[in-house]
Amino acid sequence: MPVVAADECSDGELITRSADGDRDAFEVLYRRYARPVFGLALRRLGDRGRAEDAVQETFASIWRAARSYKPERGPGAPWLYAVARNAITDRGRARAEPPTEAPEQASSEPGPAERVESSWVAWRVHRALEGLSPNERTVIELAYWSGLSQSEIAEFLNIPLGTVKTRTRAALHRLSGLLEEELG
Amino acid sequence: MSDTPAFRELVGEDLTAEEAERLGRVHDLLVAAGPPPELPPHLQEPVEPEKARDNVSFLPRRRAGLLLGIAAAIALTAFLGGFISGERHGSPFNEVASVPMHGTTATSNASAVIHVGKLDSAGNWPLKVDVKNLPALPKGQYYEMFLSRGADARAASCGTFRSAGDTEGLRLNAPYSLRGVTGWVVTLERPGSGKHPVVLTT
Repeated sequence: MPVVAADECSDGELITRSADGDRDAFEVLYRRYARPVFGLALRRLGDRGRAEDAVQETFASIWRAARSYKPERGPGAPWLYAVARNAITDRGRARAEPPTEAPEQASSEPGPAERVESSWVAWRVHRALEGLSPNERTVIELAYWSGLSQSEIAEFLNIPLGTVKTRTRAALHRLSGLLEEELG
Repeated sequence: MSDTPAFRELVGEDLTAEEAERLGRVHDLLVAAGPPPELPPHLQEPVEPEKARDNVSFLPRRRAGLLLGIAAAIALTAFLGGFISGERHGSPFNEVASVPMHGTTATSNASAVIHVGKLDSAGNWPLKVDVKNLPALPKGQYYEMFLSRGADARAASCGTFRSAGDTEGLRLNAPYSLRGVTGWVVTLERPGSGKHPVVLTT
């Protein structure tokens, strides 16, 4: 039976292989999810040092708990999200919080349900970005989060404007496929 | 002024309705998700899972190293202060610590080293920065270096500069206490833009 390269495996297959002690599978999982986990931890904890610890704890938990993943119950991304959320919550609890008085006015910040929804969207999108080629990812990150126009990106990367446009469109097409996979 | 890119500018006008709708959904998700963070160098590679299993809290942390380095620099300066201040005045730069920086997704080949000089009597930490492979910028744009404290990556400005690929010996300054500093970042600054993309980080 041919062995499928870890790079070509689904998240669920990688978790299953990690449960059997496959380090290559674990490494691919790490490369796909390290940034989404770090992003989630930063959002929840608001502190880089503790978020970095949470990344390490999350992947230690994934390695340790991989056997509890049941492929028949669903794809790997939601399971990984749950493991990350638990590890980050544990890291958050580790900080001694000073007692605070209840606020008198309702907060205008998003409620728990909205926060969960936006965290899940970010998790899904950041995971999909890891599926792009480095060239495609660079133009997407510069276009969306650096405030550069297409011609400024061309100038910054010292490549033709047409190449920037081609890469951007190709990246969006690829992301649409990757996000569909994530959505199941 | 909005920094969200215009969808049609990104994809052009020659899309089918179905394609435009599909890519438009991706566009909306990207805007909603916001930027993914840059991983610090020590998290670029996965830890050994067996070691991680039992020993998470003792894993090496580059951040701790950086803080220790800065603390050591402060201690060294305090210890040597009298000696160094007694040196002849013409000494150009008394380095007490150096901090490496690395590029981010958009500048993956870029790097820099910050040389932190001796604290002067007025409270300035002189900085000498060697930059490699940072792209030259169009007129009006510039780079800015900041001290980071915790979650505040741009806690305090250390000055602005322009670069043309490799630039050695840039003179910047940190007129602040270095206690509590968790790193440095260099951002790309564009007049009128509210975004400050990080191009170098410690």
